[in-house]
Amino acid sequence: MASQSDPITFLRYIDLDRCMGCGTCESVCDFIHDGKPFIKIYETSIGVKIPLSCMHCSKAPCIEVCPTGAMRRDESGAVYVDPMKCIGCMACLYACPFGVPELDPDLRVSTKCDLCMDLRRQGLEPACYAMCPARAIIYGEPRKVSDEIRHRRAEQLVRARLEGMITLG
Amino acid sequence: MKFTFMCKEPPSIVPGRGRYKIAIVGGGPAGLSAAGYLACRGYEVHVYDKQPLPGGLMLFAIPEERIPPENILEGIEELRDKFNVEFITKTKVFGDSKPREDEGDKLVERIVSLKDLVDKYDAVLITTGTWRSRRLHCPGEEGPGVMSALEFLYELRIYNKGYIPHKPHIGNRVVVIGGGLSAVDAAMEALNQGAKEVIMAYRRTIKQAPAGVYEIRKLINRGVKWMELVSPTRIIRENNRVKGIELQKMKLGEPDESGRPRPIPIPGSEFILDADTIIEAIGEIATPPFENEYLGVKADRRGRIQVDERFRTGNPKIWAAGDVVTGPSLIGSAVKQGLYAAKSIHLELTSKKLV
Ligand SMILES: Cc1cc2nc3c(=O)[nH]c(=O)nc-3n(C[C@H](O)[C@H](O)[C@H](O)COP(=O)(O)OP(=O)(O)OC[C@H]3O[C@@H](n4cnc5c(N)ncnc54)[C@H](O)[C@@H]3O)c2cc1C
Repeated sequence: MASQSDPITFLRYIDLDRCMGCGTCESVCDFIHDGKPFIKIYETSIGVKIPLSCMHCSKAPCIEVCPTGAMRRDESGAVYVDPMKCIGCMACLYACPFGVPELDPDLRVSTKCDLCMDLRRQGLEPACYAMCPARAIIYGEPRKVSDEIRHRRAEQLVRARLEGMITLG
Repeated sequence: MKFTFMCKEPPSIVPGRGRYKIAIVGGGPAGLSAAGYLACRGYEVHVYDKQPLPGGLMLFAIPEERIPPENILEGIEELRDKFNVEFITKTKVFGDSKPREDEGDKLVERIVSLKDLVDKYDAVLITTGTWRSRRLHCPGEEGPGVMSALEFLYELRIYNKGYIPHKPHIGNRVVVIGGGLSAVDAAMEALNQGAKEVIMAYRRTIKQAPAGVYEIRKLINRGVKWMELVSPTRIIRENNRVKGIELQKMKLGEPDESGRPRPIPIPGSEFILDADTIIEAIGEIATPPFENEYLGVKADRRGRIQVDERFRTGNPKIWAAGDVVTGPSLIGSAVKQGLYAAKSIHLELTSKKLV
């Protein structure tokens, strides 16, 4: 298994400008995890719905604080729980700035998104990314993800500039 | 959308399983998600849709700036080319009587009876969505210049795709009735189509609007006028052309069965707003491919097909999922129902084989 210092080969980014809160990510995640989704939609006070899931932090505090070494990083960079080592103390939840790890009351261990480890092992993509209707989830090699994000922002800037010129003219 | 996100290839001949044939009626997010699951399991899947392309409301109503069409089309092509899912388009499925007229029927070329499908296939999944709009039923509604949001958005899309020669006519002063996603999209598109003034009229306040405060504020920033606590009482016509709409002011009362405060009309508060186009966006209704009850499958008063927790209907060969079961919802809900219904079909057919 990878250590905290190995390079990250995959990154998932949720483009909140594109996300329409339709819940497809949560649905497919629910389906492949038998009713326990690890990406979930939350509706904020102004009526905007956004998905929240593990950020798979590059310097993951949950990995740092885990007393049994159950919270780990796989060879692609995804942070996951080894249920055999987890004691369900939830120190990871205290450490997580996003409140992501959750206790599985049946298995008595911490659970969270593992970027669809099973699918990735078969050469497939994380389900939320594969199925997002709005292409709001960007996933891949970190540099490519950054490029895609900036490409989208460039489009927005140009549109804003052109719209400005049209309204002024 | 990679509807086959669970597998790389269709399974190489699974003994026996390939013989099972499944018909899916309606190729929206619910039907396509089910098709993906079943194709990954090696079934022969045929999708019937009344439109020239599958995709449902994702391709034929929701604006392209929210859902890039190529994202849907690529998923459909993969189902067709790599997983041999067959798409039978421009084909409306209905019980064996004269089909009910729904919205979006313009491009239908063939009618197939639901009974034929039940006879021909091992299982049928109905995912026909909500292709009828609720109407105001107020005086002056009938005639030109008044349309539903779905009708307007749908016709705009099929015009842009080149299926019809004329754009839906949009005037200079447009009043959109409603506060949901369809209302927001209709208002946006009316503005894009060059309407000088677009007013959204909603009977509760922005806080209760199903589209959410943020979406509505965004529209206001783009120039749409927001008018709340008003409800239409009649549409005013002169020589049959729309001249305006009479609105009555409302106040909020106790919460109703939806949990939101009930709008209560204020007597004598009616006023008239000039308008030449009225778009009604007050909700859609489920459109099952039959009336009331057929072959043991039942729909309730609002057209919603009755299913059990495994998406089974009263007919052992028919399942149903998506908005035709729930009423108008979101893509995510339709996808979820489609997947679980497909799994239920799979479990049923595999258990059958063991007997
Ligand atoms: C204007 C508008 C905007 C929306 N915006 C959003 C949004 O931003 N986010 C979101 O999550 N949801 C949105 N929704 C809701 C979303 O589109 C639906 O919840 C979703 O599409 C339902 O999926 P479905 O597969 O059940 O039905 P549909 O998408 O309606 O698909 C049903 C399919 O069945 C076909 N069909 C119907 N009757 C027959 C028949 N008798 N025979 C053969 N084929 C038939 C239709 O052609 C269609 O392809 C919006 C809806 C509208 C109307």
